[in-house]
Amino acid sequence: MKTKKLVALVLALAMLLCLAACGKKDDGSSNGSANAATPGAANSIAVCLASEPDTIDPALNSAVDGATLLAHLFSGLAKWAQDDSGNLVIVPDAAEELVEGVENDDGTVTYTYTLRDGLVWSDGEPVTAGDFEFSWQRAASTGLAADYGYMFEVVDGYNDIWETDDNDEYVNPDAKLNVRAIDEKTLEVTLYNAVSYWNELLAFPTYFPVREDVVENESWATDPSTYVCNGMYTMSGWDHNSLITLTKNPNHPDADEVTMETIEFYLSDDSNNMLSNFKNGSWQMIDDVPTNEIAALKEEYPDEFIVVGQLGTYYVCWNINEEILPASSTLTGAEAENAKAEIRNAISLLFDRNYIVNDITQAGQVPASSFVAMGLTDADGSEFYENAGHDSGFVGYYDVSEDALEGNFETAVETLKKYYTYDEATGKFTDFPTLTYLYNTSEGHKAIGEYLQSALANVGITINLENQEWATFLNTRKQGDFSLARNGWLGDYNDPISFLDMWTTSSGNNDVQFGKGDNANVAIYSLDLTPYGLDTKVENGTWAETYDVLISAIKTCTDAENRYAMMHLAEDMLMETGCLCPLYFYTDLYMLDSSVHGFFSSPLGYKYFMYCTIE
Amino acid sequence: MSSKTLLYIVKRILLALFTIWVVITITFFVMHAVPGGPFVGEKATTPAVQAAMEAKYGLDKPLMEQYGTYLRDIVTKFDFGPSLKQRGRMVIDIISDGLKTSAKLGVIAACISAVVGIVLGAVAALQRNKLIDRVVMVLTTAFVSMPSFIMGSLLLVLFAIKLRVLPANGATPAGLVLPIITLALYPAAYITRLTRSSMLDVLGQDYIRTARAKGVSGRHIIFGHALKNSLIPVLTYFGPMLAYIVTGSLVVERIFAVPGIGRAFVSSITNRDYPMIMGTTIILAALIVIMNLITDILYKVVDPRITLE
Repeated sequence: MKTKKLVALVLALAMLLCLAACGKKDDGSSNGSANAATPGAANSIAVCLASEPDTIDPALNSAVDGATLLAHLFSGLAKWAQDDSGNLVIVPDAAEELVEGVENDDGTVTYTYTLRDGLVWSDGEPVTAGDFEFSWQRAASTGLAADYGYMFEVVDGYNDIWETDDNDEYVNPDAKLNVRAIDEKTLEVTLYNAVSYWNELLAFPTYFPVREDVVENESWATDPSTYVCNGMYTMSGWDHNSLITLTKNPNHPDADEVTMETIEFYLSDDSNNMLSNFKNGSWQMIDDVPTNEIAALKEEYPDEFIVVGQLGTYYVCWNINEEILPASSTLTGAEAENAKAEIRNAISLLFDRNYIVNDITQAGQVPASSFVAMGLTDADGSEFYENAGHDSGFVGYYDVSEDALEGNFETAVETLKKYYTYDEATGKFTDFPTLTYLYNTSEGHKAIGEYLQSALANVGITINLENQEWATFLNTRKQGDFSLARNGWLGDYNDPISFLDMWTTSSGNNDVQFGKGDNANVAIYSLDLTPYGLDTKVENGTWAETYDVLISAIKTCTDAENRYAMMHLAEDMLMETGCLCPLYFYTDLYMLDSSVHGFFSSPLGYKYFMYCTIE
Repeated sequence: MSSKTLLYIVKRILLALFTIWVVITITFFVMHAVPGGPFVGEKATTPAVQAAMEAKYGLDKPLMEQYGTYLRDIVTKFDFGPSLKQRGRMVIDIISDGLKTSAKLGVIAACISAVVGIVLGAVAALQRNKLIDRVVMVLTTAFVSMPSFIMGSLLLVLFAIKLRVLPANGATPAGLVLPIITLALYPAAYITRLTRSSMLDVLGQDYIRTARAKGVSGRHIIFGHALKNSLIPVLTYFGPMLAYIVTGSLVVERIFAVPGIGRAFVSSITNRDYPMIMGTTIILAALIVIMNLITDILYKVVDPRITLE
C-alpha cells in the first residue's frame, strides 16, 4: 500500500516537474503559436533567405543574401525598381539623375552626379559626395582586399592601384580611383571608357556609400548600435545566427513610398526548416526549398512556389589537358588537339538536357546550348543566348530540343567512330579511356553525375564519380587536378563579359586550364578582329595570344555593336574547344505567401520587400 | 577535503591542460593540412587579393610561427583571434553567443532527462514486471533507438506544422521547447533504463535484505539506501552526456534553426575559418575534460568508499 502511495507521489511529482518545465515556456509558446497562426501584422513581414551573412559591409559583401539586406539598408546613386508595367529598371536613388557620360580627349568618360536633397545617415548626419568618394576608394583599395573590389575595374585608376611587379609588390602604392567630390553634393567619376552596364554597377552594393568615421571601427557592421546606413531601413536588431530586424527609416526622402514597416530576416541554412516555417505560416517568404520536395511543392502550392530566371549556367567542364585519345592513336600536335576538341563536342551531344531539367532538377531550369546565360542582353536588347552559335533552326551551339536527341546521338557516334574502335554488335566503343567526374558533395550534383555516367555508359564510355567536400573540391578544380568536373557560374551584372573574362589564361576562375600546362604551347587558335576596326589578326596562336587579346579588345571597345559581336566571337572560341558543356540555365526558386503583394526580385537574385503589403 | 583528494584534483587539472594542448596541436596541423583555404570561393579572387588577405591575418608566415603565435595569444591573452569568414567579429564573441544558447538548451534538457529518467527508472524497478514497468520499458526502448533527426522531424511536423502550437525556429524562447524535448528524450530514456537495472541490482543486495529484516521502512530503504547507491552508473553517464548536450547538437540545431555552437562548429570547418575551428575545438574539448573531472569528483560524494588517486 505504502509503495503505491509512494509511486503515486513520485509520478505526480514527475508530472508536476514536466508541466513546470513546459509551463515556463508556455508563456513564450503562446507567443509562438500566435506568431504561427497569424503571419505577422500587416506592416511586418518575416522572411528567410539564408544563414548568417558573412558580412553586411557593402564593400566586403559578395553574397546574394547580403546584397538583399544592403539594398534595403543603403541608397547608392542608383537602384533597381519596377516600372508601371512590372519591368525591372535602374532608376536614380541618391543621385538626382543618372547622367550621360562626357567623353574626354583621351577616350575616358566622365560622369558628374548631383546628390538629392534630404539624404541623411541613420544617425542624422547629412550624406555627402565625399562619403561616396571615400567609399569607392576604400572598396577598390588593396588594403581592404574586397572580393568584389574588381567591380571598380572600369573606373580610371583601378589598374594602377592593382598593378604589381614581378615580386607581386604593388607598383603604385599611392594610386587612387579617378573619383572626387567637387563639393558637398557633386561627385565626379571618370571611367576608362563608356560601359553599357555602368548604371547597373551604381546599383550594385559594392558602390554603396559608407562613412569614414563609422567604418574606422572594424566591427561596425556586426552590431545594430554601430551600424550607420543611409537607406530606406535601419537595422534595429541583430540576434546573431538567428534574426536581423530592419525598421523603416522615416527620414529617408522616399519614406512615403515604403509600405513595409518592419522586415524580419530570419537566419537559417536548413531548407527543411525554412519550409516548416513557411508551411506553418511563421515566415512569408523563403529563398530555398529542399530539392526532394520540389515536385510536391509545385502541386501543393501552385501559386506560392515561384520560379524566376537567374543569370547563371550549370555546366560540365573538361580539363583541357586531359588525354582522351585512345592509346593506339597516332595523332600528335595540332591534329591531336583538334581531334580532342571534336571529341569533347561530340560528347556534349550525348546528354539529354530535357531529362535533366524535367526529371532530376525539376525546378523550371532551361536546357542550355551555350555558355553565356539566359537573361543577359545583346547589343540590340534581345537575349544574348538567342543569338549565340552559327546555325539557324535552333538556338545556341547545338540543338537541345527533345526531337533532336536521336539525331545528336547519331552525329556524336559517327564523330567518335573516327577516333575510337566501335563494336557494332553491342553499339559501344571499346577503347575510350576511363574518365572521372568530380563534383562537390550534394544529392543534386550526384544525381546529375549519375545521369551523365549512365548516358556515356550507353556508348561504352566509363566515367567514375568522385565527390569532394566543398572547399577541397574548389581547390582541386582550380588546380586542374581533374578530368571532368561539375561547374556553375552566376553573373554579377547584366553583361556577357562577366561570363567571358573568366577564361583568360591568368584568371583565377580558369578551371579548364586554358593556356596553362601543356595547353600553354598549343598554337591552334585563330583570331581576326579586322571586321571590328582593329588590326589584330592571329593565325595558329596560343590561347594567350588569341583569347586574352580578344578579351582586352572587348574591354576597351567603345562601340556597342562591335563589342557585342566580339563577345559572340569569344563565346564561339570557347565553345569550339568543347571544354564547356552547358547543361542548363539556372533558375531562382522561392516560396512567397499569397498574402504578400508588391514583392519583386532582380535578375541577380536580390529580393525587395520595401514595397510589400500583406492582405 | 583531504590532501590526497586535493592532490588528485591538481593532478587531473594538469592532465586536462596537457590534453587540451594535445588537442590544439593536432587540430592546428591537421586543419592546415586539409586542402582549401579560408579565402577560396566559387568566384576566385585575384592572387593579389588572396595575398593581401593572407598577409592581413598572418597566414603567409611559416606554419610553426603561426602555431607559436596562436599558442602565445591563447595562453597570455586568452585571445582566439578574429573570424576569417564573419569579418569584423571575434571568435570568442561568436562562440559565447552560440554557447549561451546551446548551454541553455543543454542544461534544461539534461535536468529534465535526469529527473524524468531517475523517477521513471525507480518506479519501473519498484513495479518490476507490472504494467507500468512494461510501458516504461517499451517507450524507453523506442526513444533510445530513435535517432534525434527522426524524433526532431516528427515533433516538428506534429507540433509546428499540423497542430501549429509551437514555432519551428529557435529564434524565440518558445522555439526552444521542441529542441529541448528532442534533446532530452534520448538521455531520459537511457537514464530510465540505467536507473531501473541499477536499482534492481541494488534491491537484490544483502544490505537491503538486512534493512528489511530489521524492519526499516520501505521509503527509507528506497530513498536512503537503494536510490542513492543505484545512481553511480547514472552519474558516469550523466557527466559526459551533459558536456556533449551542452556543446550543441548539430542535428537538432539544424532541424529547429537554433543559433547554437554546433552549427558554428561544423560551418567553421566547411569555411576553413581557422581561428573558429581552433576556438570551437578548444572550448568543446575543455568542457568535456572538465565535465569528466567533475563526474569523477562527484563519485566520491555519492560513494565515500571510492578513493580518488
